[in-house]
Amino acid sequence: MRWRHPVFVGLILALTLVPAASEEAGVSVRDAWIRETPPGMTMMAGYMELRNNTSRSQVLVAASSSGFESVMIHRTIVKDGMAGMVHASQIELTPNASLIFAPGGYHLMLMNPKRTLRAGDPVVINLEFRGGLVLPVAYEVRK
Amino acid sequence: MMTTVVLAAMLGGVWLAATYRENGSRAILLPDRVMTLFPDPKPLTAFALTDHENRVFDLSRIKGKWSFLFFGFTHCPDICPTTLAVLARARDNIAKSTVGAEDIQFVFISVDPNRDTAGKLRQYVDYFDTSFLGVTGDNAQLGNLAGQLSAAYQVAITPGMENYPVYHTAAVFLLDPRARYHAVFTPPHDAGAISKRFKVVRELETGNAT
Repeated sequence: MRWRHPVFVGLILALTLVPAASEEAGVSVRDAWIRETPPGMTMMAGYMELRNNTSRSQVLVAASSSGFESVMIHRTIVKDGMAGMVHASQIELTPNASLIFAPGGYHLMLMNPKRTLRAGDPVVINLEFRGGLVLPVAYEVRK
Repeated sequence: MMTTVVLAAMLGGVWLAATYRENGSRAILLPDRVMTLFPDPKPLTAFALTDHENRVFDLSRIKGKWSFLFFGFTHCPDICPTTLAVLARARDNIAKSTVGAEDIQFVFISVDPNRDTAGKLRQYVDYFDTSFLGVTGDNAQLGNLAGQLSAAYQVAITPGMENYPVYHTAAVFLLDPRARYHAVFTPPHDAGAISKRFKVVRELETGNAT
């Protein structure tokens, strides 16, 4: 059996990709939180600090969670004196730098929570990066 | 059908450098990014909206009180709850001061009457502060008040689409007890900055009135 056998190539590839999914090798997330909403509201927003620990760009392409009907990456922008939200199809994280999702800027728009979320509740949201990295992140609901 | 309401935004107000007394010394209230204070506040003319308890909200409701107005909608996940939480903290700060918060009110004006009923507005504003008012009206009624403040908003209703986009100014408008457009706070908002500026503005105005 030769080292160039497809099974080995696949194994080596898999082993290279697995470490990328761990925090120290790829992207780490800090201060992940979701703003608690008034009762009966169906739109929530999630915030966090993303850090790209690698020496190359990482691209956030999607987010998903079993706790919500849908999750989208949004950014609040001000145009013509009006604030509005735009969908961001992808966000590039520059090497060895942080990007902050914060009120009035980038946020995860969380639509139709499957249960009522109150301050202190944990919710897992999967952040999906180009290349297949999926980072499950625990967000805390805060008032 | 696409209903679009656009109101011209002319927030290029005047930065006013006023002097005020603080801790016994004269200090300068310099032009900055927190607030624009108008040297010659414009009196508002008649308008009529409806509050979260189905009462008329008109000129008589803003006379005799300082009113902080914020335009938004309840399906807004980022800017609206962020601003209302800041305003609730600003109100707490003002309430703790010696003059107190008896003469102030906070009004959330929904530009999305299609989804924001009185009941929904009550639930929404109560969550932030039980003293907050939620008001709305039809497009003409909203347009009247927003126009007087040059507050821009746009609602893009699309039939069958639950989450249509709404754009609105993120400024906070301050009306004085004589129902005049007195000042505007510019985003991003900060509770400490708003309450401090308001105390100065109120002192200045009380000084002028006597």
